Formats: sequence, structure tokens, C-alpha cells
Amino acid sequence: MSGGFITCAGVGKTYTGKGRPVEALQGISLACAEGEFVCLLGLSGCGKSTLLQMIAGLEQPTTGRITVAGQVLDGPSSETSIVFQDHGLFPWMTVRANVEFNMKARRVPPAARRARADDMLALTGLTAFVGSYPHELSGGMRQRVGIARALTTHPRALLMDEPFGALDAQTRGHLQAELLSIWASQRTTVLFVTHSIEEAVFLADRILVFTPRPGRLAAEVMVDMPRPRLPTSPEFAAVAKGLRAMLGSEGGSE
Amino acid sequence: MPRLSRLAGLLPIVALVAAWQLAVSLQLYPPVLLPAPAKVADSFVRWGPTILANAGASVLRVVIGVGLAFAVAVPAGLLIGRYPALDRLTDWSIQAFRSVPPISLIPLAMLFFGIGDTPAIVLIFLSALWPLLLNTIFGVRGIERTLLKVARAARASEALVLRDIILPAALPAIFTGLRLAIGGGWLTVVTAEMIAVKSGLGYMILNAQMTFRTELIFAGIIVIGAIGLVADQSVSRLRARVCRWQEGLLAERE
Repeated sequence: MSGGFITCAGVGKTYTGKGRPVEALQGISLACAEGEFVCLLGLSGCGKSTLLQMIAGLEQPTTGRITVAGQVLDGPSSETSIVFQDHGLFPWMTVRANVEFNMKARRVPPAARRARADDMLALTGLTAFVGSYPHELSGGMRQRVGIARALTTHPRALLMDEPFGALDAQTRGHLQAELLSIWASQRTTVLFVTHSIEEAVFLADRILVFTPRPGRLAAEVMVDMPRPRLPTSPEFAAVAKGLRAMLGSEGGSE
Repeated sequence: MPRLSRLAGLLPIVALVAAWQLAVSLQLYPPVLLPAPAKVADSFVRWGPTILANAGASVLRVVIGVGLAFAVAVPAGLLIGRYPALDRLTDWSIQAFRSVPPISLIPLAMLFFGIGDTPAIVLIFLSALWPLLLNTIFGVRGIERTLLKVARAARASEALVLRDIILPAALPAIFTGLRLAIGGGWLTVVTAEMIAVKSGLGYMILNAQMTFRTELIFAGIIVIGAIGLVADQSVSRLRARVCRWQEGLLAERE
């Protein structure tokens, strides 16, 4: 595959610990265009998170090659930012310090750090909470902090590892809508891992469906519906039904 | 009434003094062995300057010994906890050395350093070193994996990781180590002063025994206990202050 802001060519991952080696992912090839919103959908254990961690440069593929912005990946790229399901906020830092951390790591001067953090805090509706500690925030608020932090470095791609997986349905709905508006305003590429069919259909331009043991790319579904999408609409239900069939009898909804 | 219920902690002490007074009134022991509480209270006035000077000498030794141990153990512990190679290198030695009671080193300390402050401070240093070192290592190991991933994805320098992530993550455990270190150092100083030093509370008590001033022995023991209590409470308060972010976290996990 050539062209595409993020590409994977024949990417596989085998874990060799004690006992026999476990093949987590096999022969993944994909390309993700700049500005595209792509969901990686699959049941737990299908290796979709592993793939995202590899694209984030946090893990090495056993086989194949990953490129980001035309560069073959060798560790985390400065063009991407990752958001974790368990938010990964530093409990001893205030919201502001957490949001500034990625910039601090890149040696952005304090004044510039502050200004950019203020912008991203405003964008995510956190301005009133700059001085709070993570444990004082709700789950949804914490994940907003994680997203704000990821955005501070002007990433060209946002890598999201089931970011809303631990939230209640209502909060999840709010954050999905907010993410779409952030995505529209920041014009960043989003690679979004989820096990929820509804979430994928609500968010994605394109859905890549994974099957487990070993994780393989089973199908690719374009979601050609205008946003905001209504989960109660017949088109929505039709796409979701098709995906449910691909994921197998175990289903994949909540 | 939280303040009033805290005072309940004084009840056992009040009961002990009452029992003591009863034993004196019943003349279970001759007054020269078991002085009346009033007489001991009186000795605080009579021997005030002596008690104060000796208590000051003991406290100063503990402060220096524990301070030196802190300066060595915390940086060493952060590095050992962070780098598995250092851990493999030092693990057996630490486990072996920490099993040696510092008191058993008094003869060696006297041979090497004579009689005076030096052997006492060396012994306090050794008794404070191990709890500080082990707790620091333990604290670093307990860090949440996602936090290290966040740092790696942000391409944070090792110096930043140690200062902004590893150290604060280990702080609660370091405080636990400090409490144990001060407790151990305080036990060691009194013992060492009975053998290897010519000042301090330990020396004062031993001297009072030889001159048959039992009330001064009692006064010395009371001062030792009181200082131990104050030191422990101070560290505990400092910890609550510095690790404010953690208090909420602990409550939340219950």
C-alpha cells in the first residue's frame, strides 16, 4: 500500500513469552488518509489495541512495516498523539500540568505551553478545572483532559485506544459528539479503537473490522452517512446489522 | 467532634499513670526503685537543662543520620527501581545487609570510629538506609504502566521521567520509608548512646542508673517516647500535605 498518512504493510505481532508463542496479529495492511476518521472494530483479544500501540510506536511489530507521514516508524512519532482508555493522567499533577506535559517533554517554552494549554482546555470545556487534580474529576472529565493533552502538540493523527470504553452510556454519547466537533475543527486524522458497533458507526468515515486469534483484518466498511448520525435511523441500523454479522455470533454491541 | 475523639488516644497513657500512682501508693516497690509520678514530674524541672541538652544531642544525631540516609537511599532507590539491570546487581546485597541489626555493628563502629558522634551517626545512617531504599524501590515498581507509556509516547527525556513521574509516583512509599527510618534511627541512637557516646538521652539514662537517680531514668524514657511520637506525627502530617493528590485516590479505591 502506498499513499496514506498512516500505512501498515504486512504487519504482524507474535508474543514469545514463557510457553508457546502467541500470534496476536497477522498480515495487517491498511492505509489511512490525512483527515480521515477510521475506527478499528473488533471483539476483545483481536489485537486491535496492539496494532494501535504499534502505530503509536510503543510496541515493535514482529513482521511488516508501519509508516507515519512517509517515515518508517522507529519509536513514537512526533506527528501522532495517543489517548488511552484508562486516561493515563498523572494523579499528582493538576489538570493544567497534565495538559502541559507533552509540550514540556518537547521542551516547549513555559509561556507558549500555557497559551496552547489554555486553548485546548477551552476547546474541551475544562477551563474551570485547571487547578483540579484528576481524582476530583468524573470519568468523562478525565478523558477530556487526556484528549486536551493529546491535542496540545498539534498532532496530525490522534490515536485513540477505546477512550470511552469505561464511561457510562450518556457520558460516552456526549464525548463522541464532542470528539466529532474537535475532529472537524482541528482537521486531524483519527484512528479510533473500539469494540462497540454503535460507536464505530456513529463516528467513523471508514470501519476496519478485525477477527480474533490471530487478529486479522476481515473487512472494510465505508460509512457514507451525513453527520450527525441518528442511531435510531434505518440506515444506521442497516450498517450496524451488517457489522454485527461480520463480527460473528458473539455480537459486538454493548 | 473529631478533635475530641483524637484525645481518646491519651486514655491509655492516663490509665498507665494512674496504675503507676497506685503501685507507688501501695508501696509495691521501694520508692528508690519506683519513684512517684510527682517526683518524676519534679525531675523535669530539676534536671530540665540536662534533659534538654541530651535530647538535643540525640535528635541532632538522628537528623544527620537519617538525612544522610535519605540523600543516598532515595536517588539510589529511584534508579534501582527504574532500571532492572541495577536491581539484579544490587538485590541480593540489599537483602543480605538489611538483615544485619545495626546494634550488632556497635562493636565494629567503636573500633573504627572510637567513641563520640561518628559511630552513632554511622549506625543511625545504616538503620535508616534500608527501609528508605526498599520503600523507594517498591514505590517506583508500583507505578501505573500507562503513565510510563504516556511519557514514552510524548518522547520525554529520562531526566523528565525520573523527576516528574518516577519521583512523585514513589513519594507515598518514600514517606513510609522515612517513617520507618526515623523510628529505627531513634531506637538505634538511644542504644548507641548507652555504649559508644558520652552524651544524649541513652547516655543520660545509663548515667542516672549508675548514680541511682531512678526518677531521671523515668523522665528520660518519657522524653524518648514523646519525641518518637512527635516525629512520627510530623512525618505523617507532612506526607498528607505533600501527597494530597493521593488521599482522594485512596478513598476512591475503597
